[in-house]
Amino acid sequence: MTELASIGQYESGKGTGAEPSARPFWRLGYHSRVSLWGFAFVLPTLIFFAVFKYGPMLWAIELSFTSYDMVSSPQFVGLDNYRTLLSDPIFRETLLNTFYYIAGSTVLLTVSGLGLALAINTGIPGARHCMMVMFLTNLMPIIAVCLVWRLLLHPYGVVNQILQPLGFGRIDWLTNSATAMPAIIMVTVWRFAPYFMVVFLAALLALPDDYYEAAELDGAGPIRRFCHITLPLLMPTIFFVVVVSALLCARIFLMPYLITGGGPGNATRVLSMLIYETGFSYLKMGQAAAISVVLFAIMLVFTTLQMRLFSRSERIYA
Amino acid sequence: MTKASNRYPSRRDVISGIGAAGLGATIAPRAFAQTKKPVNLSFWTFDNPQQRPWVHKRVKMFMEQNPHVKVDFQWFAFADLGKKLSVGFATGTAPDGFVSQDWFMPVWLDKGLLAPLDVKKLGYDNFNTFTSDYARAFVDGATKDGKVYGYPMWFYGYCNYLNTKQFKEVGLDPDKDWPQNWEQLGEVAKKLTIKDGDKFTRQGFKFAMHAAQWTMIQFNPILIGAGGKWFDESGKCIVNNEAGVRAMTIRASIAQKYGAEDPADSIATNPIPAMDFLKERASMFFCHPMPIDLVKANNPAMAEQNYFRPVQYPGSVTGKGISTTYGFNLVINAKASDEKQETLHELYKFMMADLVDAWRDAAPFTFAKKTGWADNAEVQKFPYVNEIIKAKDEGVFLPRTLVFNELADAVHRGVQKIMLTKADIKTTLDEVAAETDRATAAYKKA
Amino acid sequence: MASLDIDTPRPSALRQYWPGTRKAIGLMLLAALAFGFIIPILWMTVMSFQAGEKMFQLRTEWIPSVWHFENYPNAWSRAPFGQYFLNSGIVSLAVMVGNVVFCTLAGYGLAKFRFPGSGFVLLLILSTLMLPLEVTLVPTFLVIHKFGWINTYQGIVSPLLIDAFGVFLMRQSMITIPKDYLEAARIDGAGEIRILLQIIVPQCWPALSVLAIFSFRDSWDQYLWPLTVVSSDALRTFPLGLVQFGEDYGNPPTEQMVIAVLATVPVFLLFAVLQRSINRGFGLSGLK
Repeated sequence: MTELASIGQYESGKGTGAEPSARPFWRLGYHSRVSLWGFAFVLPTLIFFAVFKYGPMLWAIELSFTSYDMVSSPQFVGLDNYRTLLSDPIFRETLLNTFYYIAGSTVLLTVSGLGLALAINTGIPGARHCMMVMFLTNLMPIIAVCLVWRLLLHPYGVVNQILQPLGFGRIDWLTNSATAMPAIIMVTVWRFAPYFMVVFLAALLALPDDYYEAAELDGAGPIRRFCHITLPLLMPTIFFVVVVSALLCARIFLMPYLITGGGPGNATRVLSMLIYETGFSYLKMGQAAAISVVLFAIMLVFTTLQMRLFSRSERIYA
Repeated sequence: MTKASNRYPSRRDVISGIGAAGLGATIAPRAFAQTKKPVNLSFWTFDNPQQRPWVHKRVKMFMEQNPHVKVDFQWFAFADLGKKLSVGFATGTAPDGFVSQDWFMPVWLDKGLLAPLDVKKLGYDNFNTFTSDYARAFVDGATKDGKVYGYPMWFYGYCNYLNTKQFKEVGLDPDKDWPQNWEQLGEVAKKLTIKDGDKFTRQGFKFAMHAAQWTMIQFNPILIGAGGKWFDESGKCIVNNEAGVRAMTIRASIAQKYGAEDPADSIATNPIPAMDFLKERASMFFCHPMPIDLVKANNPAMAEQNYFRPVQYPGSVTGKGISTTYGFNLVINAKASDEKQETLHELYKFMMADLVDAWRDAAPFTFAKKTGWADNAEVQKFPYVNEIIKAKDEGVFLPRTLVFNELADAVHRGVQKIMLTKADIKTTLDEVAAETDRATAAYKKA
Repeated sequence: MASLDIDTPRPSALRQYWPGTRKAIGLMLLAALAFGFIIPILWMTVMSFQAGEKMFQLRTEWIPSVWHFENYPNAWSRAPFGQYFLNSGIVSLAVMVGNVVFCTLAGYGLAKFRFPGSGFVLLLILSTLMLPLEVTLVPTFLVIHKFGWINTYQGIVSPLLIDAFGVFLMRQSMITIPKDYLEAARIDGAGEIRILLQIIVPQCWPALSVLAIFSFRDSWDQYLWPLTVVSSDALRTFPLGLVQFGEDYGNPPTEQMVIAVLATVPVFLLFAVLQRSINRGFGLSGLK
């Protein structure tokens, strides 16, 4: 946990806590008082989460050890739900699909979000309006998104109509198991890239000018400026975007559900869909909770890894 | 004043007005109602453009005639009603009365969530007179151990809808050439197909591929027609036996053998699975009764010139139908108080007392009840209505099993694999059976 | 004090000294990109003016031959959409305000204060994003039920009031603020709240605006939770109304596109107002 604790540490070289006996009294009071304020700021959120989030989450985890059909009370079954999962080929397939989906979407979202933000941040007049227009994709109601994309991705739909003159044959986007998941990833990126573009843009605009002025005096070209100044300074934001987009994709359910329903076969079935079906269609809430716990564990590991990866980069903001 | 409110107070009047016989006849039902305790009911149903407004209308009429009753009438999207009810039961907030989609009945009954209905309060002498007045397929699903748990509303069968204009275009006569067995279906579909190189300008026949429920609805008749069964006596899934493979081969034949269908090419949506048919991209489609409004909204010409007509499923032998049927029941929450249950009986009885009115508002959705409406002149006016009624009367229900959703999903995935990824039929059906058996085992353990 | 205006070239911008023609080409490329992005939205908007039968035609008629402006009043009148939009508006505004206030507080606490375990707390807060909504629906419903808040505005709003995503966003944006300012202010005797309001918040204005927009938009789009907690038509939010409308096969399908277009408007307006403040903020160099 030392890595994690280091994120809470912004002054390199200083210790994580004061040794009370070694410091004069007034200093002890000051630091503790300031730390206490910090905790006080976070407290309302923690209390709120305890009631509305942690309570239900713990209940859900508890539920994963039961058999619960919603209409009668839960019955304890120990690790049965998990054992069933291990032997279920559908679960395995779904798990792999989920990894595929999260990995593909996260990478593309981060790259395209940053790319779009850089494209807008060029000082070209009218760029701001392009940004506003692109943001619309994030605002379209999800039902409309799925309806429209199903028609656009139809074998004879607009997408293929555009691709055909370029030499592509007919592509059955949503009914071919090789292209179904890429299609879903594509729609996901389409929908959320502008979201992250705005996040990156806000971060880009907040970068201090001094480094760039100095770099220019040194004669550094735009690529070097980007790699050595922009990227490092953007690390907190990149961390944010990677984690948030991964968590988002882990939970997204309506989009694949409404566009392909998990098909063809199991090609686009992701864990969130399996959870929904198991819980609400098959009325096996205990099992659904078990799958959720697996998903939770995966995302927890992923986020912890990311925190370790990025904690070093946050040291520069000491 | 309808018959219901006249009859009810008059019986009570006799009892309570024995000491004041002279006054009894002049006590209006309204005055009587004012002395009754107020009853507040909650009632949920699913949304449907014709059916829900009619139900709401009847509920409002009932409230007018029974001012002491207040019904909180709520409706939800068709796919969401089951979810809302599950959450309601899980949290103790389920409504007093609701409309149950037929395929949920096994679950509600298995968990003991429904109150048995008193058929006398609904106007029948006994259990047998009640069940003989309704289509057999419905009766099987709503009764258990000699008790009735659902009061049927709409109940309809699936027909094969033909585009008669396209039939005539290729020289076929819809009256004579409608497909009566599966081979004929393939041949007719082939004749109706128009291709432009590799692309289908028109598919002769279309199977719904968008939802598990529809896959079951359209595959069930084929399976039964081929002599297959979903489960054997011990509860093991046997869809992968020889008959099942034959049935699935027939299912796949339209696209693969006759070249009359492209499974990947469909613009069907969840609310409107018949979209390909309505847009005249397919000449035939198995569908529930199609209201004129539905056709008009998507293809005004077809509605005006009426060139769509239902015929029976291929392989239907008179008296021994195989068309899929399903319906909706009015049910009562077992936890509702006695008083609420009684009022709900009255409400339900009143609601279903005028089926011709329901037909007016919600044609051509048919009813499970055998008597009292089908011969009515207004009903008979509807084009081809007797085909629709026949499909309903002779149809069969989908397999009644407690793992229906798991079965449907497994079959749906299997069909997708077979039709879209050209998987081997026997292997895929083996997978489907295995999945279903796993689900059954899991349910039994729970 | 340098202003963070996206329209004036900045040293950190990728290419700031472009001659006019390059700018024009750049603008054309950007516009093409934006156009490509919004083709589905254009499709949706065009369809909202079309007759019902044109909806599911694969060869789209991009410029309607007949403009059916009456789709708009027709669609609106089919269900109490005014009520649905009002409900969504109330819920989303409340969620937006709640998020802005509490996420800023919590983000600040996590970013600028080193109390033991702050990294763990961050992970704890992020963990609320890791369990999918479906399994927590029923227990959350039970909690709301215990407060007696089913079928009420506060019932819909409560679980959405603070989102871990917002806390994370504010933390990341506040990390970049140098600690020296805070220390200087503290030494000057400024209280913590004053520091927060007068130093931190102005510097995070872009992130705050992003937070406001996203929290508004996220709650505007919510479907599963309002569906669970609301059983009365009077409190329905618009996504519930939109889905039900879609099931109404008797109406021209293009009317559903009308409602979808109208649903985009409020959030877009909010974004149009706030995007200026995403772009304008106080530069740090001036404070040196």
